[in-house]
Amino acid sequence: MANAPHTVTGIPTQCIGCVACSKACPVKALRVRGGVVQCDSDLCIDCGACIYVCANGARRARTTPASDLSKYKHTVAMPSMTLYGQFGKDVTPAQVLHALTQVGFDQAFDFSYVCDMVTAATEAYLSECRGPWPKISITCPAVVRLIQIRYPDLVPNLVPIEIPRELGARIMRKKVSVELGLKPEEIGIFFITPCSAIMRSINDPVGQEASYIDGAFSILELYGPLLKALKSTAHDVTYEEGISPSGLAWAMAGGETRAMRNSNTLVVKGTHDVTRVFDRIESGKFQTVDYLEAYICPDGCVSGQLVAEGRYAAQRNLLHISKRLRRQPHLNEEKVRSLLRERFFDLEGQIKAREVRPLARDLRQAIALKREKAKILERLPGKNCAACGAPTCDTLAEDVVRGEAHIEDCVFIKIELLQQRIEAGKGGTP
Amino acid sequence: MFPAPVLDVIMEEEILYSETFRIHGNDFEHGGEVAAAVKSVMKQLGIRSDVIRRLSIANFECEMNVIMYADEAEFEFSVLPSQVRVVCKDRGQGIPDIGLAMQEGWSTATQQMRERGFGAGLGLPNIKRNSDKFEIESTPSVGTTLRYSVNLE
Repeated sequence: MANAPHTVTGIPTQCIGCVACSKACPVKALRVRGGVVQCDSDLCIDCGACIYVCANGARRARTTPASDLSKYKHTVAMPSMTLYGQFGKDVTPAQVLHALTQVGFDQAFDFSYVCDMVTAATEAYLSECRGPWPKISITCPAVVRLIQIRYPDLVPNLVPIEIPRELGARIMRKKVSVELGLKPEEIGIFFITPCSAIMRSINDPVGQEASYIDGAFSILELYGPLLKALKSTAHDVTYEEGISPSGLAWAMAGGETRAMRNSNTLVVKGTHDVTRVFDRIESGKFQTVDYLEAYICPDGCVSGQLVAEGRYAAQRNLLHISKRLRRQPHLNEEKVRSLLRERFFDLEGQIKAREVRPLARDLRQAIALKREKAKILERLPGKNCAACGAPTCDTLAEDVVRGEAHIEDCVFIKIELLQQRIEAGKGGTP
Repeated sequence: MFPAPVLDVIMEEEILYSETFRIHGNDFEHGGEVAAAVKSVMKQLGIRSDVIRRLSIANFECEMNVIMYADEAEFEFSVLPSQVRVVCKDRGQGIPDIGLAMQEGWSTATQQMRERGFGAGLGLPNIKRNSDKFEIESTPSVGTTLRYSVNLE
């Protein structure tokens, strides 16, 4: 399954070989070689940071083909909370759900209430669990994969409670199957996703065998059809009972912890800050913090790469909609605690660290390469200009000792060598 | 039979890799950076993750001890065929009663505080707990030398 699970792909014909994506990649999986970008699929976490920065449309996310809808007798759309904030401040979640039934799905399911259940379960888990601290949210799938690859020591910090999306799909499949008398596999549950990382976690989930969700469409690809559907039916549907304002807040960074009673929490956003804070946690900092909510995207899900509305406007819309929803559905916390004890919220599998490639398998050989790398690094200018195609001088040095690049790929070294050759040429021919 | 110290010298293993770092007292701004740098080296060398984790915890405690209590230190990290080793030699106030320093954390902190990395006193018990070999020498108003290692197998 070498390339299959990846959702972020390159479009070589669009790539002009600039290094924007290579510099933005938090796992340093991208290199520009031979004028186009290449991706190391072992490292790629499908976070979409490259899609975000590519000005030429050369990085794209693959979603489920629309033809997959016809594979099922009954289809259910499960929108990310982010979708509710895409159509201005006056379109209600109930209207959005209705619009989804007009664009090809048989049914639409709101799982904001499941977000509240997970918040309560997480709080109960935090009060009972022992370290290591801080505990880290698994809501952002790109963060989970980043930890697996770059921060294996932080894997035990991840909270082993299933995310709302998967729980929601599990609940929904059972419900629909009973109500309509269908076999579970005859029901197709499709997520409406704001990002490529969620798409990846549906194709190839971490911590479970297979996702309970059958596919995903991006907010961006459904935006046009939904807008049309909303125009024709917007006035027929009003606010619906059961949609949770605190659940909607999960679309925004900080939304998850805002609903918690425990205020000893941190919210970290964006690749730069997330890697900085994880570096620090690895060196023993932040141990007094109980819970950390982290997102690869700069403002959480509203800032995913596959959304239509800008992240600032989307947050305004969501806050406005939440206020108008006013009534918070009642949550039976005793019930949540007993479900937690019954292991209802447990992740089915384990999240495991993924081995980072050492310089060599053999210790002595790795040491020899490490020394060679240090020597090369000394020759490199340290400007991290990325003109060589690797994001930093350090990565170029590493690529060279791994045999994947040449030191002359560095433009400064190349100029130096050319000058030497010219000098030598002058001296040689009188 | 040779006395133990002589035996140690004779059996000293070949040093495969070694890197020395300087740590400055009161330099909280860079606290944890040496531990992080050593960790990054170990990752590149493909050292087992549980070994990396244990040595890194010890290194962090050791580095913070220097920053909090000493003037400066030379921190030497070495890779030997059977172990990763640290020798941290500081210039500073020293520890008048090593026995007490090794005890402190155990007696004053609750289990929960200790789990969160607090109240372990100088953190020496934590270094000892996370290493396979641990030695400490200290002269009051001169300085302290820590030697600890984690076995690779």
